[in-house]
Amino acid sequence: MTDQTMSSASPAIVKPKLSRDDWVMRAFILVIGLWLVVTLVMPLYVMLSKSVQNKDGFFIGLSNYIEYFSTPALFYSINNSFFIAFLSTAISISLASVFAFILSRSTIPGKSVFKNIALLPLLAPSLLPGISFVYLFGRQGVLKGLIGDYSIYGPIGIVMGEVFYTFPHALMILIAAFSIADARLYEAASTLRTNRIRTFFTVTLPGIKYGLISAIFVVFTLVITDFGIPKVIGGQYNVLATDIYKQVIGQQNFEMGAVVSVVLLIPAILAFAVDRFVQRKQVAMLTARAVPYEPKPHAIFNRFFFLYCCIISVMIIGTIGMAGYASFVTFWPYNLELSLNNYDFDVMDGGGWGSFYNSLEMAAYTAVIGTSVIFTGAYMVEKAKGFGIVRGIIQFLCMIPMAVPGMVLGLAYIFFFNHPDNPLGFIYGTMPILVIVTIAHFYTVSHLTSMTALKQMDPEFETVSASLKVPFFRTFLKVTVPVCLPAILDISIYLFVNAMTTVSAVIFLYSSDTALASIAALNMDDAGDVAPAAAMCMVIVATSASVRVVHALLSKGISAKTQKWRTR
Amino acid sequence: MKNDTADLKDETYLQVRNVTKKFGTFTALKDISLDVIEGEFVCFLGPSGCGKTTLLRAIAGLDIQTLGSVYQGGKEISNLPASERDFGIVFQSYALFPNLSVNENVGYGLVNIRTSKSDIKDRVTELLSLVGLEDQGDKFPAQLSGGQQQRVALARALAMSPGLLLLDEPLSALDAKVRVHLRHEMKELQRRLGVTTIMVTHDQEEALTMADRIVVMNDGVIEQVGTPEEIYGHPASPFVAEFVGTMNFLKATKGDNENINLGAHTLSLDDEEKAKLNGADVLACVRPEDIVVRGVDANTENSFDATVLDLEFLGSFCRATLTYGDGDVNLNADFSINLVRDKGIEVGGTVRIALPANSIHIFSAG
Repeated sequence: MTDQTMSSASPAIVKPKLSRDDWVMRAFILVIGLWLVVTLVMPLYVMLSKSVQNKDGFFIGLSNYIEYFSTPALFYSINNSFFIAFLSTAISISLASVFAFILSRSTIPGKSVFKNIALLPLLAPSLLPGISFVYLFGRQGVLKGLIGDYSIYGPIGIVMGEVFYTFPHALMILIAAFSIADARLYEAASTLRTNRIRTFFTVTLPGIKYGLISAIFVVFTLVITDFGIPKVIGGQYNVLATDIYKQVIGQQNFEMGAVVSVVLLIPAILAFAVDRFVQRKQVAMLTARAVPYEPKPHAIFNRFFFLYCCIISVMIIGTIGMAGYASFVTFWPYNLELSLNNYDFDVMDGGGWGSFYNSLEMAAYTAVIGTSVIFTGAYMVEKAKGFGIVRGIIQFLCMIPMAVPGMVLGLAYIFFFNHPDNPLGFIYGTMPILVIVTIAHFYTVSHLTSMTALKQMDPEFETVSASLKVPFFRTFLKVTVPVCLPAILDISIYLFVNAMTTVSAVIFLYSSDTALASIAALNMDDAGDVAPAAAMCMVIVATSASVRVVHALLSKGISAKTQKWRTR
Repeated sequence: MKNDTADLKDETYLQVRNVTKKFGTFTALKDISLDVIEGEFVCFLGPSGCGKTTLLRAIAGLDIQTLGSVYQGGKEISNLPASERDFGIVFQSYALFPNLSVNENVGYGLVNIRTSKSDIKDRVTELLSLVGLEDQGDKFPAQLSGGQQQRVALARALAMSPGLLLLDEPLSALDAKVRVHLRHEMKELQRRLGVTTIMVTHDQEEALTMADRIVVMNDGVIEQVGTPEEIYGHPASPFVAEFVGTMNFLKATKGDNENINLGAHTLSLDDEEKAKLNGADVLACVRPEDIVVRGVDANTENSFDATVLDLEFLGSFCRATLTYGDGDVNLNADFSINLVRDKGIEVGGTVRIALPANSIHIFSAG
């Protein structure tokens, strides 16, 4: 090579040649993008367009919206939904803040027991507290006297149910917020002789500010989009989520269902946007030099703290326990003899034991396929080179499901997959559509968990592999997956439990062959078979709980076996 | 050091031609050209943000340059992805696969090209003994010390017998003692294998002790390329003079007979430096250790009396802050401990110093 050929190099912009790995990764990214477009974007688009069409599919502008807002019976639900959401959020956050504070900042005994009890509601479908409160405070309720002349069917019941249902969600965020405390700030405060109260307002509260805001918006979104509780215990009190159901299932008015969906989508998206914004700020708060806070014992406070945790725990166990007890009672309240009659689902409408097996199958598929798709997708998006715009779009698409209420997603699926021209229409009414909608519904949290795990990996692993001429997928399988195994297991268990307990998205999409346990419980409750509904809820709780236990043991076993490199 | 260059086959192995790298509107590399000779150990030296890592990543194909070309072994590789280039790389983080044993890490790339397991095993053993870790093969990276991890990374980078070894701040994460030991070992290993090596570092000591040639970079351009002796002894720009070692920058004016006037003192220069006297104002640069006290008397060339303002004890020597004439201009000089004792140098005292003509570098005062 002579110098002359060198200097003849043109000043043109160098166009990097793509390696085989680059092509493969881009192909994967496009597949993931296509998946998200088909299972998320297009259904939502079709739903949005339905809201501005008439029954025959013609564009009619905002007529449906005008009709909605001129029908008091409909738009009053907005009031109701917001009222329920505000009240439930306030109560849930207050209770959870104190609980989180005690668990992370005190020295009371049994903290891990209290925490596990507090997380129990995550294992149950959201209709369980509804059913349980009917037994506790309903017309023939054991504790009817406690609420006096008020009826549990309506706002009181809904709010109580929502608090039960959202408590663990708020608690997890708040514990995380409390636990990032920097002990050095507390030491500084005490060397400056600041009293406990002033320290609380100047150090503790600012420290959890972002976590608190995040928890508020997460709980608000959960409540305003929840369907199970208002359905079971709401009585005549209408909220947006139940309105969608009534419009679609009751009146077959799909266009109005779409309108209500859009109305529900707006607060959900706003709340979600605020939450994302706040979370981004939270990350920067804890520096690598922070020193973990070690709580110091305080005898008098501890007694109150312990009492508080006991009361909350009793309420949670009481609620689940009541449903459990009621499920074994032969005929409430006349024949209190215990029997398994209510578990004889096959003699009742709703789907029988078959629905439970369907749920198991659906949850298993969702966990396996969902984890594979979501983790692989996150890997490609995180590690691919170039292709920035497409990766950015996919990152954005992955965030959408968090903001979309399950009811809205389910309805969108009807519009999209049940359309006669859709070549994918054949999956309508089958198991695959239930799996697909559930993966889409719970995509965001799984994706974020994957990203967190992947970001902890050395970014140069792929570079080293390339320099050693090793294709990336070998490194993905040999290094990335084993190292991220704990996160992968977390994602699969999250998907499994949510698939077991979810009602909202799938309620529009099951067929008689693919009835699910949670929907069977809802339908049995609807038909007046409240005790069997409670029994089905208990079966779900038991399943989720045992899967969690198996997961815990498995994680332990796996980390002992394959993660031995973690220890020195 | 000079002897090593004799061993080098005098052939250009890597050529960088007019390479420019832009990130958006920011230009990280400005029209860089550079030749690396086969078997040579080259250091890219510069402050953080000078573009040295960007240049390394362009050579590796990790962040391909916006303009310009790169040739390796006579073949144009300008636009090739990393996987189609021929290099081994060691990162500051080492990027060892944490769930694989040392053996598996070192043999990671071999699995693809060698069929027999015993071949791989032999090669891994050979590589590990090369870096002195023959008995550590079954351990996991987390069970090794930082220095050992670094050696595993080096063994892995050398496993495929690459034509080019790239080292991205490979020693920065280590303790000072381990670092000194390892830089000697790495240089020794590189010399033995004769593999063309480029190392990025911000540590001038590392560059001076390890490199056959140093490429000093600043602000996206190459300031100077030369042997460690050239870089230290004949800095080509004030930046190099200041960045490598310690330097006094003294404002002076051009005097008669191609001398310079430093305050009231007239200093003579070497011929080479005389040629650099362009304007009326110049910067006369002299290293603290080049200032002479022993054997200096009133007749010594370039000598004058200076007052000792401060003596800073730095262990093996003292750094004196001196002033001369009426100005408030200070000058640093390094005096050995026994010089300070013999001459009775103390704060407030006077000492006669000389700035030998061959130790003065001239830059235009711009």
